[in-house]
Parts: sequence; C-alpha cells; structure tokens
Amino acid sequence: MKISYTNIYNRLASLTLGLWLLCGVMLLLAAGSFLQGEGSIINEVALLDWLRDVPTGESWWLWGVIALLAVLALNTLLCSIDSLRMKWQKGSFLVRIVPQLMHLGFLFIMIAHLQTAYGGFKQAMQVEPGSAITFPDGSQIVFTDFAATYSKMGMPTAFSATLECRSAGKVATAVISPNHPFFHLGHGVYLKDIAPPPMKAALVEVHKEPGALMALSGGAVFTVANLVLLARRREKTA
Amino acid sequence: MKWLLCVSIGLYLFGGFRRSLFFAGVAGELVYMAQRGIELGRLPLIGPHDTLAFFSTSCALMALPFLRHKSLRDSDRFRIGVSLLAALTGLMALPFPAFNMPMPPILNTLWFELHVALAFFAYALFGIGALLGGMFLLKEEQYVLDAQNTAALVGFSFFSASMTSGGIWGYYAWGTYWLWTPKEFWTSILWLYYGTYLHLRLKGQKWERAIAWGGVIGFGVTMFTYLGVSLLMKSSHSF
Repeated sequence: MKISYTNIYNRLASLTLGLWLLCGVMLLLAAGSFLQGEGSIINEVALLDWLRDVPTGESWWLWGVIALLAVLALNTLLCSIDSLRMKWQKGSFLVRIVPQLMHLGFLFIMIAHLQTAYGGFKQAMQVEPGSAITFPDGSQIVFTDFAATYSKMGMPTAFSATLECRSAGKVATAVISPNHPFFHLGHGVYLKDIAPPPMKAALVEVHKEPGALMALSGGAVFTVANLVLLARRREKTA
Repeated sequence: MKWLLCVSIGLYLFGGFRRSLFFAGVAGELVYMAQRGIELGRLPLIGPHDTLAFFSTSCALMALPFLRHKSLRDSDRFRIGVSLLAALTGLMALPFPAFNMPMPPILNTLWFELHVALAFFAYALFGIGALLGGMFLLKEEQYVLDAQNTAALVGFSFFSASMTSGGIWGYYAWGTYWLWTPKEFWTSILWLYYGTYLHLRLKGQKWERAIAWGGVIGFGVTMFTYLGVSLLMKSSHSF
C-alpha cells in the first residue's frame, strides 16, 4: 500500500483535526474532574510520579489528555507553519504573526507543564524556632521567629516567619508571609499556616516549579498577542 | 444597603423597555458595589453574594459598549436580554448573606483581585455572547453573529489574562501556578472551549448556526465552571 506523505501532512495540519483534538481534551478533563476524589494525591507529588504510581484505572484520563495534547502540539505547529506560508505574500506583518504568537504562547504553556511534571518538587513540614532546611549544596534555611495578628473573631489576619539563609559563609535574613515566599537555589519556601499562641510553630512548604518561568512567558506572549489582535480588529471595524 | 441591590434589580427588570432605567440600574449597582468595597476595605470578591453581585454588575457594564453600538442600539430584544441577565444574576445574589469577614492573608494580593475581576468580566461577555447567539438563531442577521464573535473574543482575552494573573497569584501564594482540582479542570475546559469556538469561524459560512449554538452552550459551560464547580465539587475555589 502506497503511503501518501502529503496526505498525512495535510491531515495533521488540518483545522478539523485540531478542533476534534480540543473536544477530546475537554471531554477527558471533564471526566478527570469527576474522577479525582478527595483522597487523590495528584497535587502532592510531581505529575509524572503520580502517573507512574497510581493504577491506570485511576489515571487513564490524564494519559489520554497527554496523548491528545502531544498530537495537538504538532497540529498547532503545522497549522502555524502553513498559515505563515500562505499569508507571507499578503497582509501586514502583524496580521501574519499575531495568531501564530498566540499558538506559540499555548505551546510554551504545554512545555511548562511538562517541565513541572518532570522536575517539580513539593515538601510540607512543621517548623519551630531553630528548625532548619538543608539543601544539597550544604546551605541552610533556619527559622528564627514567628509572628501573627488575629481579628476579634480569632481569625489570623496576618502572619509571618523570620528566617536566616546560611549559604557560603554568608547569612541573610528574610521575612516570609502568605504571598511573599523566599527563593533559594530554585526552590520557594512558603509559609502556609501558623500555630495559635502560645505555641511557636508553623506549617511550611518547599516547592520547586521548573516550568514557572516558561508558563509565565507563554501567558505573557499569549496575552500580548491577544491584545494586539483585539486592537487590529478594533481598527478594522472602526 | 442590600435594598440598593434590590432597587437596581428592579430597574434592570424595567430597563429592558426603557434604556434610561437600565443605566440607572447600572449606576445603583455600582454604588452598591462601591459601598461594599468601602465597608470591606477591598474589592467584594469573596463568597456567593459578593461574587454574584459583582457578576451582575459585570454583565451590565460589559453590555454598555454593545448597547451603544450602531447595529444593536435600537434592538429591544438585546436590551431586554441583557437587562434580564443582569437582573437574574443580581437576584441570585440576594438569598446569600453578605459576609463581612476579614480577607484571609492568602487572598490579600492584587493578583487575586485582578484574577477574579477579569474572570467575571469574561463570564459576563460569554453571557452576552449567548444572548446574541440566541438572537441569531431566531433571526439570522450577520451583524448579530459578528457581535457574538466580538463578545467571545474579548471575553476570551479577559479570561486568558485572568488565567495568567491567577497563575502568578498561585505561584506566590500556593507555590504552584497550577493545581489539579475541579476548578482548574473546568477553567481549562472553558478556555479550550472558547478557543475552539473562535476557531470554528475559520470553517466558513455554513457553520454559522453551529457558531451561534456554540456561544449559547458556552455560557452553560461558564455557569458550571463558576457556580457548578464552586457549589457542587470540592475544589480550591469552593464557596
């Protein structure tokens, strides 16, 4: 049987295939949203570790999403190449490039998820004054103090932890609080909760998100290109 | 001050018949939201009452450019539709108590406020898109479908920016820009849905009715993402 490479290329680069793939991803994500029970540890470990450790009966929807997204990534790339080739001779540079930049942003976001799924790390721990987190290079983060303020109803309205980062013979002091983590060697140290007085203890998490920068770049590229597209459209309809 | 919200809803209900009443409803609801904001010392974006009231205000505000547009300015059907949309979402806010609790520290950041506000602007535009889709299905007029596409495109832009700001907030607050909880699943589904919808236009004229239906169904997906997930499923965004 003769294989027509042109036919395969055309099918892979077709809009119809892209639309079907998107529908498939949506259906599988919807299934995943109902299948993930309260006991799932999917957010506690790197995603590839979760996929390796849980039975396929529990993770089939994510395997399906990954497979479809892999084809969708290829489809997006080929559609962009085709579109650029066809439009190269006509229209302004912005018209040619902006939708493709949005596709690029989408691809960046998928790569970011892959990076985090492969190299992500998360560890929760309870710390007290004097507790230390030791990093592979021997540097340490030592917690020295905790502080909190409470509302009349007893809810914490603000809380923080003071820490020392001891690295290469230098000591740097920092204060962490919700939304204000401390970053060291690509890891973020996050203050999640604090024990009520008179106890001096806190719940801390250490995270590593290797895909964060790529996701931010993808989001930024997508958003900027989207705004340019809107501006162009406004000009056209004005 | 809940009475002001009730008055605004009443004005919306009659605003379908008289444009000035609709504008008075918008003004009243904006004053109500501002008063809630002053009372709380932040944007009122937490809990079902405040978010539904914010959603109602967003529907009315996002409808204004469409109501001023030359092709829809004289459309009674559209004005009645957006008035009902703003009134119904406002009515849904009424049974829920308006909580005056202090902002949890984790939510006390501009990224969170930006994330939520942009999401509601997007939801409102998806609602307007659904109305326009319904109008197109009743009477096939090209300008209505164009307006629906504009609503969906601007909504999609707000929603994309909301997801980006939500990712930034999540990274600083939770240590990750992404969590696998039902809300994130459905947020992704909604984003992909409107991405698919916007690509459908490239399929040509024979797909016009499918596009109009797409806008209508999209609002169903929107409402499930907002209310269904928050009320029925255990998620990072549960009420």
